[in-house]
Amino acid sequence: MLATTFKWFTGIWLGLVAVAMFLWVPAHEGLGNVGRIVIMHVPTGWLTSVAFLFSAIYSWRYLRHGRARDDALALAAAELGLIFSVLATVTGAIFAKVVWGTYWNWDPRETAIAALMLIYAAYFALRTSIEDRQRQRYLGSIYALLAFVAVPFLIFVIPRVTDDTLHPNCAILNTPNCQGIELTENGRIIGTVEDFKVELLGIEQQADLTVATVSIVSNGTNYTLKPSFNRASNKPETIERLPETLRDVQIKRLVGEPGNQTVEIAIANTGNIGLLTEQRTLLTFFASLFGFTLLFFWLWWLRADVLDINEQLVQQGITI
Amino acid sequence: MAKPVFWQAAWAVAYKDLQIELRTRYALNAMALFAVTTAVMVSFRLGPLGLSRDPRSAATLAVLLWIAIFFAAMNGLSRTFVREEEAHTATLLRLNVPALAVYLGKLGVNLLILALLETLVTLLFIGLLNVTIANVGLFLVTLSLGGLALAGATTILATLVAKADGKGSLFTILAFPLVLPLLIIAVETTELALSGGTWAAAGSGLQLLAAYTIAEHVAALWLFERVWEA
Repeated sequence: MLATTFKWFTGIWLGLVAVAMFLWVPAHEGLGNVGRIVIMHVPTGWLTSVAFLFSAIYSWRYLRHGRARDDALALAAAELGLIFSVLATVTGAIFAKVVWGTYWNWDPRETAIAALMLIYAAYFALRTSIEDRQRQRYLGSIYALLAFVAVPFLIFVIPRVTDDTLHPNCAILNTPNCQGIELTENGRIIGTVEDFKVELLGIEQQADLTVATVSIVSNGTNYTLKPSFNRASNKPETIERLPETLRDVQIKRLVGEPGNQTVEIAIANTGNIGLLTEQRTLLTFFASLFGFTLLFFWLWWLRADVLDINEQLVQQGITI
Repeated sequence: MAKPVFWQAAWAVAYKDLQIELRTRYALNAMALFAVTTAVMVSFRLGPLGLSRDPRSAATLAVLLWIAIFFAAMNGLSRTFVREEEAHTATLLRLNVPALAVYLGKLGVNLLILALLETLVTLLFIGLLNVTIANVGLFLVTLSLGGLALAGATTILATLVAKADGKGSLFTILAFPLVLPLLIIAVETTELALSGGTWAAAGSGLQLLAAYTIAEHVAALWLFERVWEA
């Protein structure tokens, strides 16, 4: 009874999320309809990592206690992890093609999910190559744990491949230094925006324009850029591209009189236009996160049960 | 402190494996031929002077060097365990020698084989591709640490593969995701060593490599007995 209620609830919930995603959520101002994909993309990506964690935990439990149920849960989690990683990769690639112009870019998160997919694939390749079921469980669990030891290193290693991410972090977690930094001519002239060190070298006035000279350290190289701000229209004028990245540097705001001016320097990701700042989008996003998590747990237990039943049938000599 | 008998057992396992290997030279031949084929193929089109004019040559050579080492190692490192299963001597070994001694003996053999392989690949690259190593010390440390890490991650996988049925190709498939962090750092540090980077520049990479090596060895020591008895 409870299981049936849970099943129906999850189904209806996700149905509503899907309807809301296309009909209730407004199209994103900058990205248009493709912005809607974040509602599917982020939850599936999140569940990929959750599945990997559960798979390792239950592999460890299996090695400790030797219960077939634990291995069934580990295997089911890995299977779901693979499905969700494919979903996250495909939705992400579509979004990346439309917004950034390329399906694949070896962005840190893309590298991480590619490594996870390789591990899942290797795990299944190992399991299918062993006939003896007891041994299959044993060796599968051991491989899952070995992989679990290696993966955290990827977190430290991946930023070495590229320290620039296209993923809009600041759209989801709005920490103070996502907003940009305020630098003053005669006061604070140095600071950081995300991981970039920013230094204000000078400010000069040209008719209606205020031009700031800023030095930004990116990838170990020092770049000097000159973004400007139009005082007449009170809007950024020249937006400078940080070389070899997809980041735009601009003066977001300007306060004070010449001689003692404060500029707010922002370094924006191209395509990072605050996806989740819109209220309906945010609400649907969390509903989707919740729905997908329910779906994950439901599928996880269901699949583990099926594996259990299959095992019992095999033990009784029945094959299906 | 383990008893002397334990170390004698580990040494006996290593000695036996080396003797068998020197008798057939199966693993050594497979690995050497793979290394030669790679170096010759690259040299055909790019070398011996082709790459040295390229500004990105250090990066390209570092990648090629590790491709040669990784895939050649995959050809030979699983051999000692697979042979035990094929010759049905594994049970005998299991009954007479403590699991950890078996592991350490085989790890020693694999380390030796890897050291030989890395020497060969480096000499081939210097000879056929005109590689100049600007920071020799850093290069040697990278190769040694890389070899240690590779042996730590793959010796236990070799045990695993020996118990599975699709032996040959499965080893590479299982090893690649595990050694991905190692390969990324090793290529980066090798590139630094070839292009004359300083120790300071390579410091964090080497630290990470050392941490990875320790983690893989600890995990392998912890899990080996379970695989071996499976």
